[in-house]
Amino acid sequence: MSLKVLAILAVAAALALCSCSGTSSAANSSAAGQQSADRKAAPDFTLKDANGQTVKLSDYRGKVVLLNFWATWCGPCQLEIPWFMEFEQEFKSKGFEVVGVSMDDDGWKVVKPYIAAHKLNYRILLGDETVSQLYGGLDALPTTFMIARDGKFAFSPHIGLAGKNEYLSEIESLLSTRQSASAQRPVPFVPAAVLRPAVLSSPAE
Amino acid sequence: MCLPLFCAPLYCQAQQNKLSVRPPDAMTLKRGGTAVENLRVEVLSGFHVNSDKPKDEFLIPLKLTWAAGPLEAKSITYPKPEEVKVGADLLNVFTGTFNIQTEFKTSGAAQPGNATMTGKLRYQACNNEMCFRPATIEIKVPVVIE
Repeated sequence: MSLKVLAILAVAAALALCSCSGTSSAANSSAAGQQSADRKAAPDFTLKDANGQTVKLSDYRGKVVLLNFWATWCGPCQLEIPWFMEFEQEFKSKGFEVVGVSMDDDGWKVVKPYIAAHKLNYRILLGDETVSQLYGGLDALPTTFMIARDGKFAFSPHIGLAGKNEYLSEIESLLSTRQSASAQRPVPFVPAAVLRPAVLSSPAE
Repeated sequence: MCLPLFCAPLYCQAQQNKLSVRPPDAMTLKRGGTAVENLRVEVLSGFHVNSDKPKDEFLIPLKLTWAAGPLEAKSITYPKPEEVKVGADLLNVFTGTFNIQTEFKTSGAAQPGNATMTGKLRYQACNNEMCFRPATIEIKVPVVIE
């Protein structure tokens, strides 16, 4: 391999690493313009929601998804959650969904009371180590991925607290793009916050 | 290939311990006697850990526990927490360097000689932008019973 080729590879690797901050709007802007073929598919997973329903990420193909990894013990996550509730309310009818994946080790016994106390209006799934590894380890929370209608990542991931307007511009940008994938019908979702308290307090994991 | 590249720098940051414990000095006690162990804890600059009594029920407290051994932990005293504001919330946290004090008493069955007390310090660290998953540090205190 020639020196020239090695130099080009080194620059390419450096550019890839520079886009890792997760909060760089410059990186985000460029990602928005990427062609579908250049982007990576969001790894599919199957998890249960607070109602015990099995949910696959691929069920959401055809929709713009804000995939947020969080935990009840994570302060910065709590700051973002009210924004996500607003986004869900405002954009759901336009083909957008927020999916929250809780990384609480204590499982539903802490997550269900949290959902009830904060009246979350979007679907919460309980994460596991398999999903964590699929998404890079998730040692830092919140970590949020924007997924386009074609099921591929759009924009750089947000690792840590991001700005509300940053999310808004990404959502609006993705919703404005033409739907290329055939829409599938996600599993019908009833917000756990409207479930009976008896259901919410059940210790079932 | 793309995802690990995206996450590499943050992943490295996440792997770094946000809290460390100075290896405790050996304690010497007489049978039936008591002694105090000051555990020196250091939180990485720019980070905080929840205090032993966080204000929010969902937060994970700092907690020191000792396994059964030749000594019995009579009491554990944590420092006074600081208040920091995250968003609209005031949190009770520990930052920088602090001591956790344990008062030990030799158990009745303790035999003269060398032994080890083993403890665990569970914590959950954050900065103003992100939180890291709960972690536990194992602590070993050399003990000499005379």
